[in-house]
Amino acid sequence: MAYTPQYGPGTSVIAENRRKQMNPNNKLEKVRDVTDEDVVLILGHRAPGAAYPTAHPPLAEAGEPDCPIRKIVTPTEGAKAGDRVRYIQFTDSMFNAPSQPYQRTYTYCYRFRGIDPGTLSGRQIVECRERDLEGYSKFLMETEMFDSARCSVRGATVHGHSLRLAEDGMMFDMLQRCLLMGDGNVKYVKNQIGEPLDREVNVGKPMDEAWLKAHSTIFHSLVGVPYRDDQEYVEYVQRIHSLRTKYGFMPKE
Amino acid sequence: MAKIERAQKLFLDSLKEKFQGQDPEAVNTTYYRFGGLAQSPRKQEFIKASKAAEMARGMDMYEPVRCHLGGIPLGQRQLMTYQVSQSGVYVEGDDLHFVNNAAMQQFWDEIRRTVIVGMDLAHQTLQKRLGKEVTPETINEYLHVLNHAMPGAAVVQEHMVETHPGVVDDCYVKVFTGDDAIADDIEPQFLLNIDKLFPAEQGAALKAAVGKGLWQAIHIPTIVSRTCDGGTTSRWSAMQIGMSYIGAYRMCAGEAAVADLSYAAKHAGVIQMASILPARRARGPNEPGGIKFGLFSDIIQANRKYPKDPARASLEVVGAGTMLFDQIWLGSYMSGGVGFTQYATAAYTDNILDEYTYYGMDYVKDKYGVDWANPAVGDRVKASQEVVNDLATEVTLNAMEQYEQFPTMMEDHFGGSQRAGVIAAASGLTCSIGTGNSNAGLNGWYLSMLLHKEGWSRLGFFGYDLQDQCGSANSLAIRPDEGLIGELRGPNYPNYAMNVGHQGEYAAIVGGAHYGRGDAFCYDPRVAVCFADPSLKFDMAEPRREFAKGAIREFNPAGERSLIIPAR
Repeated sequence: MAYTPQYGPGTSVIAENRRKQMNPNNKLEKVRDVTDEDVVLILGHRAPGAAYPTAHPPLAEAGEPDCPIRKIVTPTEGAKAGDRVRYIQFTDSMFNAPSQPYQRTYTYCYRFRGIDPGTLSGRQIVECRERDLEGYSKFLMETEMFDSARCSVRGATVHGHSLRLAEDGMMFDMLQRCLLMGDGNVKYVKNQIGEPLDREVNVGKPMDEAWLKAHSTIFHSLVGVPYRDDQEYVEYVQRIHSLRTKYGFMPKE
Repeated sequence: MAKIERAQKLFLDSLKEKFQGQDPEAVNTTYYRFGGLAQSPRKQEFIKASKAAEMARGMDMYEPVRCHLGGIPLGQRQLMTYQVSQSGVYVEGDDLHFVNNAAMQQFWDEIRRTVIVGMDLAHQTLQKRLGKEVTPETINEYLHVLNHAMPGAAVVQEHMVETHPGVVDDCYVKVFTGDDAIADDIEPQFLLNIDKLFPAEQGAALKAAVGKGLWQAIHIPTIVSRTCDGGTTSRWSAMQIGMSYIGAYRMCAGEAAVADLSYAAKHAGVIQMASILPARRARGPNEPGGIKFGLFSDIIQANRKYPKDPARASLEVVGAGTMLFDQIWLGSYMSGGVGFTQYATAAYTDNILDEYTYYGMDYVKDKYGVDWANPAVGDRVKASQEVVNDLATEVTLNAMEQYEQFPTMMEDHFGGSQRAGVIAAASGLTCSIGTGNSNAGLNGWYLSMLLHKEGWSRLGFFGYDLQDQCGSANSLAIRPDEGLIGELRGPNYPNYAMNVGHQGEYAAIVGGAHYGRGDAFCYDPRVAVCFADPSLKFDMAEPRREFAKGAIREFNPAGERSLIIPAR
């Protein structure tokens, strides 16, 4: 019997947005252009144009053992080449940033291969082979999963996710890695771990409040949709909890 | 889910004090213009102290501008003060690190230096094996000898070294019993008088539970347990007990019956405050990881002082528990560093958890008719899955909404682990106080965590992924392969051993179940009596107030070395 993912419960726009992001059959809207070189600069792992550092020889040269798993799993391009494993980490404001930590992890697991995500309250990190990472990062910054004011790429100091917004609508960042410039665009002046960049990297204009609210994946009773209003979602979580509690007694529904 | 109206917002005063001149409900503010460390008097004091130390030792020390995150010092946003909940005292966060807070140190010292030792086994040895007479007079004489010996004085040998009474003045032994006739014969200075220390109903219940036995509440010198460890307490105590029996009852110092007394004092008749931990934790008895949650709730005495307010009593356990289990146990014994303090203090500052918990109290009264301010077994609501789901859901949703409606409060609890612990604690406390069942409380905690995670798509740090997403399966449904009731769990319970922001709250959830029922104790009546002692340096009925006193440097601890070091 083929399993058909449902991508989570809920009747609200929040729930629907979550499903859209997770469902790999749904094409996410591209809302900005970030060049390959700009992605490399923000990540800060290698200089643009530099060769990918490797952790091991290319698989084709490695003389791999005869292994049934290797026959089943096709390596990613980064794995084939022996790239080292590097990361991108996002901080998402609780004021209607279009993606949020667990939402990112769920989405990545449906859409990406060869990844190791980690989910915390203020940040979400994903680690994978470097050239794979760059492709994924470009997708994550160019599509509707990103807003230049409410999402940011940060290796450390992520408390801005829960803080009030600055007067200009930007999420607080102790290191001020990116700034809202006079032309209305947000530009990175430091890479994700806070090292100054040789040139500014433009990630575009912040989306307006109406767009953010319409694309939000977090419940919020002040600036968005109250969690309480999505009764189906709440009841589904209660059901999961109840079944887990009773599981030792083999519950039947 | 049926939200109730609650006009009172206990946290508002704190938000207004912390964010002066700002609207606590505003979404926007200003950053990057606070002057970094200059805004904090305490950080300025640190810089000055460090300069003095550097001059004295010829080596650099505290260099926040150079060393913090590549030259960006703390304080790009407002460095907040904190009100220790329900104390009215505002302090800087630094003052709540246990290194900077003598009250916090003493709180843990009081527990680690305590054992309870029964006298009945020793009396049987004296009477049956040695044919000696044991009378009220001999018991009182023994207590005089013991209170001479326990701090470190000689009772048998000539020409012995002794400890300076001024350094060990916090050490003493009192006794207690449930038998009024025996209690009447004990010199008042040595007696923990249950009738006087507890409300009448609690006192009667405790006396019935303690029975006719006579127990010694022993507190060895703070400085001894600090220099050695918790495992020392029963050994130091047993040695002095043995010598005191020899001295008081004129025994031969080397006769075989002494071994019976030693065995009783070290093993058969001793109650440790914490059990020994397995080798991978490598701690002896009387160390924090071995304290059972039920026992910890008996150590904290707020239920004695506030018997009609089980929420307050539980919140005091939260404050004491997060300090001990998060800041000292996980934060230093297990991990090291300073970060755990920031997590832990969220649960006992700014009246935020207090507000969420009292909302739960109002809800359980409104919907189920539980008169939480009059604790009794009879009017608790039955601990069904449906009730737990309802209580935990409503309290969780309310707490999330409060954080959302007051962005300054979200900024106060800027870390997800802080919020998760606080929200789940309020949910768990509501369930345990409302039902009188500790595992219903734990179950409410875990539902809260799942709801929180799905609502905000975030929870705490990595560890919450494990502990809080499998907890549903080991609470409320009790089977041998699933776990213990909450009273018997502790910081080293499987899955509990790695997460800050949990253990103190679990202890409070356990305590809350009993406080809600009006019980006199949660786990061991002898522990409840032992820590009711007004002679202790730390008032176990008001741990949060005591921590606040420590923060503003008004707490007088024990174990000071000023008598034996050069004057400064």
